[in-house]
Amino acid sequence: MKKFTLSILIFALMAVFAKSAWAQESAEEIMQKSHMAYYYAGDDGMTEVTMKIVNSKGRERLREFSMLRLDVEEGGTQKYYTYFKKPSDVSRLTFMVWKNPDANDDRWLYVPSVDLVKRLSADDKNSSFVGSDFSYEDVSGRHWTEDTHTLVSDKETLNGHDAYLISSKPKAGGDYFVEKKTWVDKKTYLPLKEEYYDKDGKVFRRFTADKIEDIDGITTITQRTMENVDKGQHTTIIFDSIDYNVGITDDIFTERYLKNPPRKFIK
Amino acid sequence: MNFKKATWMVLIAVAMWAMPTIASAQEVMWGGFVEGLWGAGLDDKNPTSRDYPVAETRLQLRLESYGDRAEVFGRLDFVQDGFDSANYDVQLREAYIKFRMESANMDFKIGRQILTWGTGDLIFINDVFAKDYQSFLIGRQDQYLKAPQTAVRVEWYNPLGSFTIVGIPDFEPNVTPTGERLSFFNPNSGTIVGADGYMAPVEPANKFENSEIAFKYSKMIKGFNFSGYAYKGFYKNPIGFDPNTSTVFYPELNVYGASLRGQVMGGILWMEGGYFDSREDRDGTNFFIENSSMKGLVGFERQVGTDLTANLQFQYEQMVDYDKYETSHTQMADYAVMMGMPTPAKADETRTLVTSRWTKQLYAQTLTLSLFGFYSPSDEDAYVRFSAEYKYSDELSLMAGGNIFDGNYAYTQWGQFSYNDNLYIKINYGF
Repeated sequence: MKKFTLSILIFALMAVFAKSAWAQESAEEIMQKSHMAYYYAGDDGMTEVTMKIVNSKGRERLREFSMLRLDVEEGGTQKYYTYFKKPSDVSRLTFMVWKNPDANDDRWLYVPSVDLVKRLSADDKNSSFVGSDFSYEDVSGRHWTEDTHTLVSDKETLNGHDAYLISSKPKAGGDYFVEKKTWVDKKTYLPLKEEYYDKDGKVFRRFTADKIEDIDGITTITQRTMENVDKGQHTTIIFDSIDYNVGITDDIFTERYLKNPPRKFIK
Repeated sequence: MNFKKATWMVLIAVAMWAMPTIASAQEVMWGGFVEGLWGAGLDDKNPTSRDYPVAETRLQLRLESYGDRAEVFGRLDFVQDGFDSANYDVQLREAYIKFRMESANMDFKIGRQILTWGTGDLIFINDVFAKDYQSFLIGRQDQYLKAPQTAVRVEWYNPLGSFTIVGIPDFEPNVTPTGERLSFFNPNSGTIVGADGYMAPVEPANKFENSEIAFKYSKMIKGFNFSGYAYKGFYKNPIGFDPNTSTVFYPELNVYGASLRGQVMGGILWMEGGYFDSREDRDGTNFFIENSSMKGLVGFERQVGTDLTANLQFQYEQMVDYDKYETSHTQMADYAVMMGMPTPAKADETRTLVTSRWTKQLYAQTLTLSLFGFYSPSDEDAYVRFSAEYKYSDELSLMAGGNIFDGNYAYTQWGQFSYNDNLYIKINYGF
């Protein structure tokens, strides 16, 4: 009888703990959901992008490109295809990435003026994407397991959105930031704002979701800005159009289509 | 009807057949650039006929239109030569139609086009397509290293890999120095010469048997790209000499090779090899035609810092039947002494070449510094090309650079250009 009582007690205790764990998502779970909402929306995506790079003197440079994405495995391998339209010196250039969460990405560049397929080394994920304030990692996503996450607050509000505030610290030493604070929308799990701190505790980089829209039932950040605080410059990415689940297939992400852009998807 | 006419008839017929597929094209897109390029030679002793290697204004126009399955593309250059203001040159760089046969998994590209394959960075083994070394050495944009050819390219994709076949009906040679802008070594006189020492090479007759054919097979295995190549055509440099007619020509050549490229240790590794079958001198006894040879290269590239990329390549070449070459060389040397002519230079059995490229980008990638060095330990010669390009805006860029050559012998690849050291500036407006 005693044994039976004890069992019930243990069971009841476990249930209580389980329930509280259920109600209170861990910071890791929030960041995982955020990563999925931001980088893995739908099974594939077709986007027309305008990128504005504004330097400290206010001088503006523009990039226009089409981007295709396919989720080979939800939360895992993804493939990206970029076709540049503007400016003139990079027009018709194509760029392909196979994002491998557990290894270095594979990257290819095709230069049509010389019919050259080039493999690019992808060791440094933090280098700038086409001269902008976004890095390659920002474009294809930093895996949530690379950092340890702590829930700072679950009572934040930002531009009318209820948000979690998460602090993330790189697990490996020598990363380019010491701490990152992320405001994650409680409803959609999209990142609303990120602040990157250096070792002096100063914000040197700031991400903001400027415009959020409903696209075919998928909440999407259609305008975002990355600010380089130290240099006083920023880059804004605007989605001129986005379509999800358009039937992009794996064979698009091969040398064949790198050299011959898939006009079905590239407008 | 001659062969050239027949080729064009076929091309036009195919283009007309493909036309309906691009009828759905929405619009014609256009763009291009205007560029001014001025170069100055650094050596007063250069025997070239021009004082400056280059002074020109170039307008490039691009036109493009496409539907779901096909596209047409054209690129036309108008060049005004600063040495002779009446001299306008129109160069058709590209004009092709590209279309897809979905059911057969085949892609076609027909017309004037630039063709490139292989793995080397500015050194080529299986890339047997025409190159413009003159442009490359006087500071024109990198894209001008590749010369266009009128060709048919068919790519066939299937689970076994991808197969590409390129047919070039009309032989297209490399553009090599003529003594006008760049001096070079003339083996007959045994000296570095200008335009007066240039002999216009004789091109292969324009007939079906002289068509160039190039083949490539490619397959991705575990992130590595494996390729096999074959080519039937001609040496693209005029390295053959016919003592009976005293003419230089392009000897017949077959090339067979293979390459692989993939990611290793956070960088890109590539290897390539090829056998050059010199069809007009298979036994290696003809002194005036290059012997067959084997060539191999290995390269590695990686990022070594923020916006800093570096690579290193090593190339090795070995002449086949060197003993026969030595015999024919000795005979030639004896003959030359008898006739009171200069003794012909003797080639080594092996040639080694090391190259390295460094690229650094600064100020949000608006400033690009580039350095590319070639050094041959066996030939004891070197070539360094360097440049700085500043993108003032999306449209306007400024560039300054130079080409410096050095060598201990006048007859080696870079040594022959010793007088051609040059610096240049360039301004480019894209639209």
